[in-house]
Amino acid sequence: MGVMRIGHINIRVLDMPAALKHYEDVLGLIRTDEDSAGNVYLKGWDEWDKYSVMLSPADRAGMNHIAYKVENDADLDTLKKRIADYGTDVEEVPAGQLPYCGRALRFWLPSGHLMYLYAEKDFVGKSVGTTNPEPWPDGLKGAGAHWLDHALLMCELDPERGVNKVAEATKFMKEVLDFRLCEQVMVGPDGDIQAATWMARTSTPHDIAFVGGPKMGLHHCAFFLDEWNDVLKAADIMAKHKVKIDVTPQRHGITRGYTIYFFDPSGNRNETFAGLGYLSQPDMPVITWTEEELGRGIFYHTGELNEAFTTVYTEGA
Amino acid sequence: MAADMDPTKRWTIHIRDTDEHYDCDAGQHLLKGMLQLGRKGIPSGCHGGGCGVCKIRIVSGEVETITMSRAHVSEEEQQQGYALACRCFPRSDVSLDVVGKMQKTVCKRRYGFV
Repeated sequence: MGVMRIGHINIRVLDMPAALKHYEDVLGLIRTDEDSAGNVYLKGWDEWDKYSVMLSPADRAGMNHIAYKVENDADLDTLKKRIADYGTDVEEVPAGQLPYCGRALRFWLPSGHLMYLYAEKDFVGKSVGTTNPEPWPDGLKGAGAHWLDHALLMCELDPERGVNKVAEATKFMKEVLDFRLCEQVMVGPDGDIQAATWMARTSTPHDIAFVGGPKMGLHHCAFFLDEWNDVLKAADIMAKHKVKIDVTPQRHGITRGYTIYFFDPSGNRNETFAGLGYLSQPDMPVITWTEEELGRGIFYHTGELNEAFTTVYTEGA
Repeated sequence: MAADMDPTKRWTIHIRDTDEHYDCDAGQHLLKGMLQLGRKGIPSGCHGGGCGVCKIRIVSGEVETITMSRAHVSEEEQQQGYALACRCFPRSDVSLDVVGKMQKTVCKRRYGFV
């Protein structure tokens, strides 16, 4: 019941041929369709729905919207009421308005990001099939990413002006959409300012994350790889293709994931995220990171935030 | 000065803020050219024309530009010589001012990330 998982992200790109070379040849996503407006749809080989990435040609980089899939059509009615009762404007859009999806709910998070919820999307399946499937298909390109894993959305944080969109977005996700808070960063003189959160509906450490910054935006969207060796290979592939790498293979303290941060050709940050971290369950206590250990939380090995982490990102709406 | 299109040609770039000079191939963007020589001056971000931290203003000389996010350089600004260094390929010697900023970690960050 309720939200199952991240469904897709709609990213704006400045140069579609360059973007496709990146998402297909480097990340290894598979192109499933293209529409008359020039939007291109892609999925990871391990995903069964039609797309998890929708690339839209534009003259500004960033994210148009993010969408999550709910389990049953009736969940949309329940959640529509809960969103409205919370005081958030919510619109129901007819089937097909969200490409290749059934009816959907459209609303803005308190952080200013546009979110959709839908219950149905065209099914294309995996090339390995469902009867005695091989563990992975032949012909994968690049890193061969399995699926869109999560996104990190930057939220405006300015405690001196009393602005904390991280806390507001987190409260909404928890109280309205039943996301569980798995980890958080608490900062400020009294350690009472929630500056970042990692939240889940699946049993992974996060299906969405919110981090405070000077303005709202898209920090990154992440694609899943199995394990550490795949991360190293992905980094080799990025180097071969001269992809701008932000942070070379490393472990996150928070979520325990193995990571590479890098940029697509329009400057949207991507991540390859490997390892399932730990099993996050409804009764798991929340993990808290303090300001002193924030560097190790984000980048466990170097223990330092790089300068670009909260400055370099693209638009979130 | 007439633009020279030879991609192997090397031009001298002058960062007026720090009075630094470095050489950059015509086939390389101004930011990459600077970083490859281990030089500093222009903030380095996404290298894709999306984040805007490497914003510069071309004061003299000619560059060829490729698509950059309108979120950071409007058409009007572009007419005035503003650009993102990661989207500029030199076609002559270039003199520039640094406009973009990277948030400084020292003394600015009072609340973890901001």
